[in-house]
Amino acid sequence: MSLFRRLVQILVSLGTNAYLLFPLTGTIYTGPLKAVCHPGLNCYACPAALLSCPVGAIQNFIGALRATLPGSFPNLGAIVFAYLGFAGTLVGRLPCGWLCPFGFIQDLLYKIPSPKFSLWPPLRWLKYAVLLVLVVLLPLLWVDRTGMGEPWFCKLLCPSGTLLGALPLLAIKPELWQNLGLWFWNKMTWLVLIMGAAVLISRFFCRVMCPLGAFYSLFSRITVVQLEFIEGNCVHCLSCVRSCPTGCRPHEEQGSRECIMCLKCVDACRFRALNFGLRRPLPPPRAQTVRRP
Amino acid sequence: MHNPWAVALIILFTLLFLIGVNTGDLDFLWNLGKTICLSCIGVG
Repeated sequence: MSLFRRLVQILVSLGTNAYLLFPLTGTIYTGPLKAVCHPGLNCYACPAALLSCPVGAIQNFIGALRATLPGSFPNLGAIVFAYLGFAGTLVGRLPCGWLCPFGFIQDLLYKIPSPKFSLWPPLRWLKYAVLLVLVVLLPLLWVDRTGMGEPWFCKLLCPSGTLLGALPLLAIKPELWQNLGLWFWNKMTWLVLIMGAAVLISRFFCRVMCPLGAFYSLFSRITVVQLEFIEGNCVHCLSCVRSCPTGCRPHEEQGSRECIMCLKCVDACRFRALNFGLRRPLPPPRAQTVRRP
Repeated sequence: MHNPWAVALIILFTLLFLIGVNTGDLDFLWNLGKTICLSCIGVG
């Protein structure tokens, strides 16, 4: 399963960044596929990207809400919420584990030999603040004279934008170098810090900062598919806990918001106590026997 | 499917998709994707 997941990650990362003419044309892909969102964090400023970034799209939709002309219907971004909502309802955070190019990069970074550390658990809540503040509130509330907000997550933080968007674009468009300033170096600093942290802590960005993971995690308890725990088979060897890249305890908590459904725990369990499949119905409540006096 | 919440959400997101298609979200998204995002690359 692990090898299959790696193959999927490679195919999706390459397949959705397959516009290889950009060194010749000197610009990004502009075809109709850009009307579809990638299920993972994949910057649409990447010259090879075929799909749009859902986080960037949401911020731009929200940022444009207050600039809507009187009498015209605002673009609510319903289609982006529909794309993400479908994915979240069906498979929860599975796109983080299988489809996200930046998640794949972090998986590779964690393979670099170094001391490894576990994450301080309260930091996991930070990604919800990133989603609320940088993706929703700032683009909506901090607007210019025309009423337009900016994509603050992209502007301040997004490491995928810096790595997959900015650096390749700067390579093919040297004239952009003269416009670089504080914003760029801020983002480069974040990129270096995040990639460094990803070497030491498994999936650091996904667990601490990713607003897309935060959005998908809202669906974790109701997804159509789930990781099922079969208590009778469990011998409490904790091999599932040791194998989990996001620090979950699959034998204790089903439907964890941190679970990216990479299925490493299913592979690690020799006793078949974990199974991946469609969510089963809850068992009917036991009939209570009423004693009559 | 045994999960009423998932069914309700799938219906909701289908409606959202139809609303988005009919209110020009696809064009908005396409136009967005066709322009180089200067914020993403840290310019401006």
